[in-house]
Amino acid sequence: MLEIRNIDSYYGESKVIEGLSLTVPDGKIVGLIGRNGVGKSTTLKSIMGIVRTRGGEIIFDGEDISKKPAYERVKLGIGYVPQGRDIFPQMTVQENLDLGLQPVGGKGTIPDYIFELFPILPKFAKRKGGDLSGGQQQQLAVARALAAKPKILILDEPTEGIQPSIINDIGKAIRRVNSELGISVLLVEQYLDFVLKNTDTVNVMEKGRIIYSGITAESDGSEIQRLMTE
Amino acid sequence: MAQFINTLFNGISLSSIILLTSLGLAITFGLMKVINMAHGEFVMIGAYMTYVMQQIFVKFFPENIRDIYYFAAIPFAFLVTFLMGSLLERFIIRRLYGREIDSLLATWGISLILQQAARNIFGAQGVNVTAPSFLNGGITIGGCTFSYNRLFIIFMVALCLFIVWAIMYRSNFGKQMRAVMQNRTMAQCMGINSRKVDNITFSIGSGLAGIAGCSIALLGSIDSTVGQSYIVNSFMAVVLGGVGKLLGTVIGSAIIGSASIFTENYTSSTIAKAIVLLIVIIFLQRRPQGLFVIKSRSLDE
Repeated sequence: MLEIRNIDSYYGESKVIEGLSLTVPDGKIVGLIGRNGVGKSTTLKSIMGIVRTRGGEIIFDGEDISKKPAYERVKLGIGYVPQGRDIFPQMTVQENLDLGLQPVGGKGTIPDYIFELFPILPKFAKRKGGDLSGGQQQQLAVARALAAKPKILILDEPTEGIQPSIINDIGKAIRRVNSELGISVLLVEQYLDFVLKNTDTVNVMEKGRIIYSGITAESDGSEIQRLMTE
Repeated sequence: MAQFINTLFNGISLSSIILLTSLGLAITFGLMKVINMAHGEFVMIGAYMTYVMQQIFVKFFPENIRDIYYFAAIPFAFLVTFLMGSLLERFIIRRLYGREIDSLLATWGISLILQQAARNIFGAQGVNVTAPSFLNGGITIGGCTFSYNRLFIIFMVALCLFIVWAIMYRSNFGKQMRAVMQNRTMAQCMGINSRKVDNITFSIGSGLAGIAGCSIALLGSIDSTVGQSYIVNSFMAVVLGGVGKLLGTVIGSAIIGSASIFTENYTSSTIAKAIVLLIVIIFLQRRPQGLFVIKSRSLDE
């Protein structure tokens, strides 16, 4: 589904990621975990095309997308939930959701399953996105990313600053769209338990490189914890 | 009383013209943080296009249908300034993206070039447009005269305002535009081509300036600096109104327009300019971000 081959990413002149490779197999949930500042978000931004990559390839659905602008990558079927959620603050919840349809030309309607996953959204439809709480914004951001029925969902720390019950809902939503709709997922997190509970494979990142990679069910949580804190 | 109503009417008339020139400025500044110093020259071009269209009609059309030249001039002026705006964005503004001061200087240079070009083409002497005959005269109610051409301008501005509102809040393009305005990077991640949005928005803003040019062509003689006399007021209206809300621009224009007419009426035009500037300065001391400030949880920058 998605394969990163040997990419280098830069912020200005400083190299944040060097020679990174990572694969998200079709229909799988892949976790990417690591401490602050090791390059997790940069990896996702490189996939989206909002951070510049020099060298390497990003293969999505058999096509190298590393030279395409962000808005064209999204249209190929990538749903992105950024860190900090990035809800459009002055637009209503409904308008934010409708923007999720832009990758398919702004036409059509929001699929019903989205309201099944997040039943609170219709209640807030007319409120400004910026007036919602963090947890509500996070649910809206996930719903927005799913509106155009992407092939892959990319989430950047969806549990950050969010109460446990909503973290649970988001975990359930991720697993449901994965098992029922076959959407592949790339999940970046710092919250180890959430990753162990919701992913098929897990990767640990340190200083712009992957230092551990394995099947989640066969991985030792305390070993990963040790790799992350060392 | 009659004099007061007349002054009020003139105030509304001036406000509406300021509004038409500010609309384009406000949306391009809100979206791209670019202050287009050449905006006044697009007004000037719009006014000259009205003149050109009139000349074409005088030359090629029989006398009895000459009056409709004005209805041909409005879309013509819009189209010409729309295309020029598009080119300016494509070849200059886009290359200076994120460099506000540089784009300010570059557009100022464009403004000087356009002024000189107008002098070369149309001469240094001002030209006059004859208002269509159905806009001559006015209606008199209780001793107050409302001239048809000013009423027409007010109507036209109201129509433009409605169209801009409909584009911004009722169309898919408007949704894209507001998304880019609020969060450019995230808008791109939603599949929105922000460059295209920038270009079309800038072009629409320039086209509105062209229509403003059509309306001021009805009020006086046209020369290469005609845009300058209106643009200063428009800049003040945008600053006063705050960025990102149409209503702010409307109220900002109303304040500047009526303040200048009322003080001018009771003092002189020089003092009026000073007083309007003073109002703006005092106001901005109290509210540096303008009348309408966007507040929300995620905008605590």
